[in-house]
Amino acid sequence: MEHLQWPEAQLTPLEAEVLVVGGGVAGCLAAIHARDAGADVLVADKARFLERAGSVAGGVDQFMTPLNAGEEWDTAQHLMSFVPKLTDGLSDLAVAERAVHELPRVFQRLVDIGIDFTDPTTGEYFRTRAFGLPGEYHLNFDGSKFKHRLGRYTIGHGARFLPRTMITDLVTDRTGERVTGAVGFNCRTGERYLIRAKTVVVSTGDINRISRNISGMPFDSWHFPYNTGDGHAMAFRRGAKLVNMELVEATLTPLGFSTQGTNSYAGQGAYFINRHGERFMFKYDPRGEKARRTILVNAVIEEVLAGNDPIYVDLRHLPEEVLDNFVRTLGVDRYTLPGYFRQRGIDIRKQPLPIGLSEMSIRRGGSYFRGSGLVVDTSGESSITGLFAAGDCSMVSGGISAAAAMGAIAGRGAVERLIATDDVDMDPTSVADAVARMEQPLLTDADENWKDFENRIRHIVTDYVGMRRTDKGMRHGLSLLRALAEEEPKLKADSFHALMRTLESKNIRLAAEIMAEAALHRTESRSGAAHRRIDHPETDDVTWRKAIVLCRDPQGDIEFDYLIEDRPAPTARSAAS
Amino acid sequence: MTADTEGDVVTHNPIHVNPDTCIRCMICDYVCPGDVIHKEPRSEKLPVIKYPDECWYCGLCEQACPADAITVVFPENMLHPQTSMIELLGRDPD
Repeated sequence: MEHLQWPEAQLTPLEAEVLVVGGGVAGCLAAIHARDAGADVLVADKARFLERAGSVAGGVDQFMTPLNAGEEWDTAQHLMSFVPKLTDGLSDLAVAERAVHELPRVFQRLVDIGIDFTDPTTGEYFRTRAFGLPGEYHLNFDGSKFKHRLGRYTIGHGARFLPRTMITDLVTDRTGERVTGAVGFNCRTGERYLIRAKTVVVSTGDINRISRNISGMPFDSWHFPYNTGDGHAMAFRRGAKLVNMELVEATLTPLGFSTQGTNSYAGQGAYFINRHGERFMFKYDPRGEKARRTILVNAVIEEVLAGNDPIYVDLRHLPEEVLDNFVRTLGVDRYTLPGYFRQRGIDIRKQPLPIGLSEMSIRRGGSYFRGSGLVVDTSGESSITGLFAAGDCSMVSGGISAAAAMGAIAGRGAVERLIATDDVDMDPTSVADAVARMEQPLLTDADENWKDFENRIRHIVTDYVGMRRTDKGMRHGLSLLRALAEEEPKLKADSFHALMRTLESKNIRLAAEIMAEAALHRTESRSGAAHRRIDHPETDDVTWRKAIVLCRDPQGDIEFDYLIEDRPAPTARSAAS
Repeated sequence: MTADTEGDVVTHNPIHVNPDTCIRCMICDYVCPGDVIHKEPRSEKLPVIKYPDECWYCGLCEQACPADAITVVFPENMLHPQTSMIELLGRDPD
């Protein structure tokens, strides 16, 4: 059988003091703050340019931060006092507090970089209240060039960039307890890299392509489909602790196009109606359509189960100027949405829009200041020395704001670690193991492909580990996911691009297995649609108001631990004193 | 046309490039987050939509194209999906 050859016999050796894996918002802020201290920084991303790397390269429209502009609510302390109401017992408040206090600082840095957060029509900050937060922390702005500017600044600030590169595994020293580098390859040229790094920051985003959707097209996803839990997986394989991996997020989307925004329709006064023309949301929540997203999602699920679909979002009653504004801003979150409506021949001013449920992401279960990913301390360092995490793959996440804050924290944390580090050794066994895993799909004589493999993952997850979970279903799903691991050596890649997808697929399978383990373990329902057990429909605060932490022990078995939000909130503390 | 969904091999092309207006620059290749668009450098050849099934339909290519030569075209199963939602809500293992 023909095997695709690497272009060079040897891996290209590279060195960095800080290797940043993933060049999105968190990765750029980590790189910038490490560069502030003069560290030698290398950023690797699957994208061709850092300006275009990450999930918000197409644009973004909100940044959340207190500004200390005078109002009582406008301070980090006030926002922090509200954080435990969001996290539902599943975060580490010490880390969340660090992130909250970092928000105004990192915001100022972004302003200094030249990012304009003002409203283009007034030249002033346009602040809104969102996500039930106790103040107008969300700045609406034209972020169509946000990532472009940020990426360009990061390069100008002296970070080096390794383009179209998938980092596939971390390398450790001989103890296995210190990360000292990574391996990866260029998905076009096949050039391989062995990167010796004193510290590594993973900022690889959330986990997608993990369950089925309405269109049946795996890359048609609400969140970025090229985020496949690569950072989670490479860290887990080296023994790092992950948290909140059972928490999923789905949203309501135009039926057939998994895109963001339908919850914002509700915020602007849209009605949700079922096939009978009934405004059904009041059956589920006194706030009706203004209920939290997770309640909207659960309500739509109930309506579908009751046979009341199709479900529509109806805007026809809204005043003309609201509709004008609505139509004008449709393309902000997803550029192609106006074109989609046009090609579909639907005029949302005149017709109700059929909506559906998106696929799931493993991603903080919809609440800010907690995250589904690597456990980190207040310096952003994971449970493995030298390995840091920030953004949606870390324990404290929340849009670009928390990604920026945690990125800054991790960048500075990596610098602190550098100061305490002389030199690092890469364990040859660790390197050999990483290289072997990277090239196995090129060498196999079997002929299975990643697409079929991934579809099997999505069917298992959707059927047995999805939005409605049971002990019996998840045990079955888990056994199927473990059996699927046995198929992995048969996956063949005939191009470097296919090699990237194949390795992503394996990471997705591993994430699905970890999710199933954690979800099976949590014998309650929590945070609305984030973790819903049909066999345990109630929230059990006595037993389960704690986050599930898991890691792989040296034998390869899963070890469970818990993280308890045991610190009183800052207001409670000040009230007591 | 229907896009490739779980084994149906009718491939839909999501990215239409107008050959008359395309100026053969590299920008669509550079901006695509999914490595979907491949343009041969310094060549009169049009960009190739190499992995159409892996398109996110984000439209970065359409947005960035300096010649307005790109249109994102949605497939039938996104415009008029046939999957019923109840299929996505889980099942009993028996």
